[in-house]
Amino acid sequence: MINKRKIEENIFRCFMMAATFVVVGTLAFILVTICIKGLPALSLDMLIKTPKGGYYIGKEGGILNAILGSIVLGIGATFLALIISLPLVFYLNLYVKKKSTFALLVRFFLDVLWGIPSIVYGAFGFTLMVFLGLRASLLAGIVTVALLIIPIMSRSMDEVLKLIPFELKEASFALGSTRLETAVKVIFRQALPGIVTATLIAFGRGIGDAAAVLFTASFTDSLPYSLFKPVATLPLAIFFQLGTPFPEVQERGYASALVLTGIIFLISIFARILSKKFSKRVIK
Amino acid sequence: MEGKTHISVRDLSVFYGGARVLNNISINIPDKKLTAIIGPSGCGKTTLLKSFNRIIDLQDGVRVSGQVLVDGEDIYDPKVEVTHLRKKMGLLLQRPQILPMSIYENVVYGPRIHGVKDKKKLDGTVQCYLKVSGLWNEVKDRLHSPASRLSIGQQQRLCLARGLAVEPEVILGDEPTSALDPISAERIEQRFLELKSQYTVVLVTHNLRQAKRLADYVIFLYLGDLIEHGTADQVLKNPRYLKTESYINGEFIEEPEIHRELNLKGTACSDYFERAKHTLEKIAHSQVLKVVVEHEQNAHEFEKTMIHKGHRVLEVKRINKTDWEMLIQKQNNVYTI
Ligand SMILES: Nc1ncnc2c1ncn2[C@@H]1O[C@H](COP(=O)(O)OP(=O)(O)OP(=O)(O)O)[C@@H](O)[C@H]1O
Ligand SMILES: [Mg+2]
Repeated sequence: MINKRKIEENIFRCFMMAATFVVVGTLAFILVTICIKGLPALSLDMLIKTPKGGYYIGKEGGILNAILGSIVLGIGATFLALIISLPLVFYLNLYVKKKSTFALLVRFFLDVLWGIPSIVYGAFGFTLMVFLGLRASLLAGIVTVALLIIPIMSRSMDEVLKLIPFELKEASFALGSTRLETAVKVIFRQALPGIVTATLIAFGRGIGDAAAVLFTASFTDSLPYSLFKPVATLPLAIFFQLGTPFPEVQERGYASALVLTGIIFLISIFARILSKKFSKRVIK
Repeated sequence: MEGKTHISVRDLSVFYGGARVLNNISINIPDKKLTAIIGPSGCGKTTLLKSFNRIIDLQDGVRVSGQVLVDGEDIYDPKVEVTHLRKKMGLLLQRPQILPMSIYENVVYGPRIHGVKDKKKLDGTVQCYLKVSGLWNEVKDRLHSPASRLSIGQQQRLCLARGLAVEPEVILGDEPTSALDPISAERIEQRFLELKSQYTVVLVTHNLRQAKRLADYVIFLYLGDLIEHGTADQVLKNPRYLKTESYINGEFIEEPEIHRELNLKGTACSDYFERAKHTLEKIAHSQVLKVVVEHEQNAHEFEKTMIHKGHRVLEVKRINKTDWEMLIQKQNNVYTI
């Protein structure tokens, strides 16, 4: 009897370890590839200069245009998505009845939107732009990426808010507070670590997406300076660089990928630190 | 009962989904007295308390019927401002739930949302109410550290301070000393005794000795029914009905076996006793007759007469808006009408 349980235990443990290994191994493999291929081409020039020397994406100079462009676009889109997601999830969790059809439908839509490929968002953003008479620009890119990450952001926040104990709301209401006061002063604080994490995950997703910005933000060699002008982004830079037939430009593509990975890496660390800082007051 | 009524409950029923949790409760809670609600676990004490400040509205699928009048005003009237009501009726929840902020902010949360901004005044509030709840000495050096680090008993006292800090007119305490050691509990009890000169206090307690020490008035609930209520002396020392007696004596509460039923609804009051006598003759000594009558007055009249005849009344409870159910245990060697 004891043996059978022990064997079961071991089989499942092996299975879990294998799964973990697949995930960590793949990640490590990607990182190693990018490093090996990209590190030689990575130089200070790449980080602080705009492209020079022809081939559209540049044989010389750097990718500062894409780095700055991605950061500006990512921050803009995250900010816009946050302005929409926060009220949405608070509405769903505090103002609407738990089992209402409305809440069920909204969550269902968000889940569906989450699964839609980003190229579809790109196409939709493009249609919207044409309709509004806009040209490919930073603004159009921000709006499209915001649309792309709103489902991700709001569903992650929603899951965080759902986990907040009912008793906490009850305690706040029992002192005579309104829903808004409960939302802002109590629930928000309790959910803050989760909200920060959700926001930064969405940022990471937004900054790494190429298809959504392909038609909407276009690409340019100059630094971002106007909301209404095209802007360069790292994923597209990588896409173009890797797509050229020139090995030295391809190598720079791997260097760009390394930079993008580095940015996402930094954001993840930042997310951890912030969310740890905010979780001090949180009730467990 | 002498004295003014502060909270008047009329025909209050509460349903969760289809299940009826409180059954036609009608009761007057006296002003500036301490009322204890007692009863076995799951009998609806928390539900009753939560219906006094409409916090019960937050539950999904709850339905409340009947009235609760506070100072003569029906709190279930749609015009009532629930935030005011909840400030007025300070509820201390059964499971102490601190807010995700510092100790200081926990106490001033209520006063702040009700408009107090002055820093000095808030500081004073914190000191005052933490002292009242007996927590001041333990936390005075770390007022600004997170409240989540306090022990459960400390959290319970913090919740008490937080609840008092909004300066309610009525204090509704759901087992406010359940997580405390006897000495801390006694200190809190002492506070409640002081508070009741200014506030109406309603306490739920599982501790009968605590009820004896504190209460002026006692309400006994069983499975959603109001079984008995009255002055503390009467209910705790001299209970009228069987279930109350079993509960007070720490015995298992059993439904008495019913041997006969008699429905007197629609019967003229003058015929009540004749028919009851007739039926009682058919059962043996100590067997139980269940009688249903209409209207509270008739029920009381009937009860009095039965006792006068020497029978024992085991239970009198309201079963719906008009009808009352009574259990009469026949006692022999008494003369009948
Ligand atoms: N949200 C809810 N949904 C469904 N049923 C509920 C809900 N809350 C309470 N009940 C039921 O209502 C009845 C009364 O519950 P209540 O919490 O009022 O009991 P109580 O007397 O306070 O018990 P205790 O002494 O254990 O705290 C119980 O049978 C309980 O299962
Ligand atoms: Mg309870």
